[in-house]
Amino acid sequence: MMFRVPTAAFRVLRALWRINVAEELQYRANFVASLLGTLFWIVTALLTLAVFFRHTTRLGDWDYWEVVVLLGVFNTLTGVIEAVLRPGIGRLAGEVKSGGLDLVLAKPVDAQGFVSFRRLDVWRFTDVVLGLTLAGYALYRLGRVPSFVQLAAFALALAAAVVVVYALWVALMSLAFWFVSVENLSVLFDALYEGARYPVSAYPGVLRFVFVYLIPIAWTTTIPASALTGRLEPGFALVAAAVAGVVFALTRLLWRSALKRYSGASG
Amino acid sequence: MSRLVRWEWLRRYGALLRVAWLQDLQYRASIVLWLLWGVTEPAVALGIWWAIAADGPVQGYARADFARYFFALMLVNQLTIAWDSWYLDSWIREGELNFRLARPIHPAHEAVAENIAYKARTAGMILVVWLIVAAAWPAVRLPFGAGQWALAAAAVLLAAAMRFFISFATGLLAFWTTRATAIMELHAGISLFLSGRLAPLALLPPAVARVAGFFWFPYMLAFPVDLLTGAVHGAAVVQGFVGQAVWLAVWVGAYRLTWTRGLRRYGAVGG
Repeated sequence: MMFRVPTAAFRVLRALWRINVAEELQYRANFVASLLGTLFWIVTALLTLAVFFRHTTRLGDWDYWEVVVLLGVFNTLTGVIEAVLRPGIGRLAGEVKSGGLDLVLAKPVDAQGFVSFRRLDVWRFTDVVLGLTLAGYALYRLGRVPSFVQLAAFALALAAAVVVVYALWVALMSLAFWFVSVENLSVLFDALYEGARYPVSAYPGVLRFVFVYLIPIAWTTTIPASALTGRLEPGFALVAAAVAGVVFALTRLLWRSALKRYSGASG
Repeated sequence: MSRLVRWEWLRRYGALLRVAWLQDLQYRASIVLWLLWGVTEPAVALGIWWAIAADGPVQGYARADFARYFFALMLVNQLTIAWDSWYLDSWIREGELNFRLARPIHPAHEAVAENIAYKARTAGMILVVWLIVAAAWPAVRLPFGAGQWALAAAAVLLAAAMRFFISFATGLLAFWTTRATAIMELHAGISLFLSGRLAPLALLPPAVARVAGFFWFPYMLAFPVDLLTGAVHGAAVVQGFVGQAVWLAVWVGAYRLTWTRGLRRYGAVGG
């Protein structure tokens, strides 16, 4: 069965994360560094917007504070990426090359789950907090108080966004099984994700089509932000959830066929 | 320098370049990904300005001007970018500097050769793509002028040298701190605005553009890009080259200082 509830896996993950957190707590200076880094990034992003909005009042029909809401969502997802995905599945390409993946496959747990969630950089979760704070502040400046239904739609769309981002990582890192010598595959994600910093409606038509249907970047930031600002019917969050489900299932299949190509350190 | 010494240096650089080229060849797929990453930022910026300029020129910049500016920026950025801080940081922290110091040639020469090999390969790729795009899309075609291109080439060379010394000197801070690369990222964040990576400097608030003029940032990118697209003329060209020369000299000085001081300290730690 593909979808049994893996209680043993959760136990393993809990143990791994406990060790992780204990380890990270030793390096409290990293917390300050990470916080300063995030604040610097947010200020840079806001100044970037300020430069654009000196010359326009709307970006893809979004006004300034709406785009700031989107930046908040972007930063929230960045937190998830930096805390969970990059330290975990981000190391896959190197392990496929070195054969280090052998050690993972030898364990009696689901390889994809283990590779994906084995490590947490807890300090980077501050990005999630700061991102949501930024989105909340922008919403306040917009003078919009989201209804309960809108908040629920946002929560669902954001969860779907996390799944889509995760699926993108799995899809890109699976390429490592075909292109063994490429160790910096995560750079490909960074390049793609750069496109998620602005609402997709700001891009020319072709690019918009690509971001919605082919490389589902639009579902990561534009959709949750739209749900929060009331641009979207709350019911649309269900579509986002469905998209996330489909994308997740597809990457699961991709992962399986990719893994079949792995020949180990001796191969 | 006698002819014999000059010949000797040519031979050394030939060997270093050959090694660097072959190493890059081994990692050519990775290099393509770095290249892709390098061009997304200007591509996204172009997309946004393209949307903003839909209703007409922005302070004299029409859509085609933005297209030319950011295509030139992609090329110039690739030709002048220097990753040396990251290399030096790991060389110093992991002790890989030791065997490089034992060689009868300064490690900076290896770094220079790597830069040349890397840039020849990646900028060549950008040029090919640019030519193909230009065949279909007149907006990104550059006005042809041999003299203007020669000046742009000189400015790119000076900018590349300056960014190399900035990166090298900052990387050498790893002798003192573990956050040398963080300083470099801070520098990159500031240069996003002040070097013209986000927008032509004319589109920044005038006060910010004026402040940028007091630093080396515009001479890293904006000036060579404007020369290439033909946006600067007359006295501004002379002023740009003077600025490049002055700031290059400053950064060479910074490099010499960090190198001599740092090595003394490094010896103390290792000895």
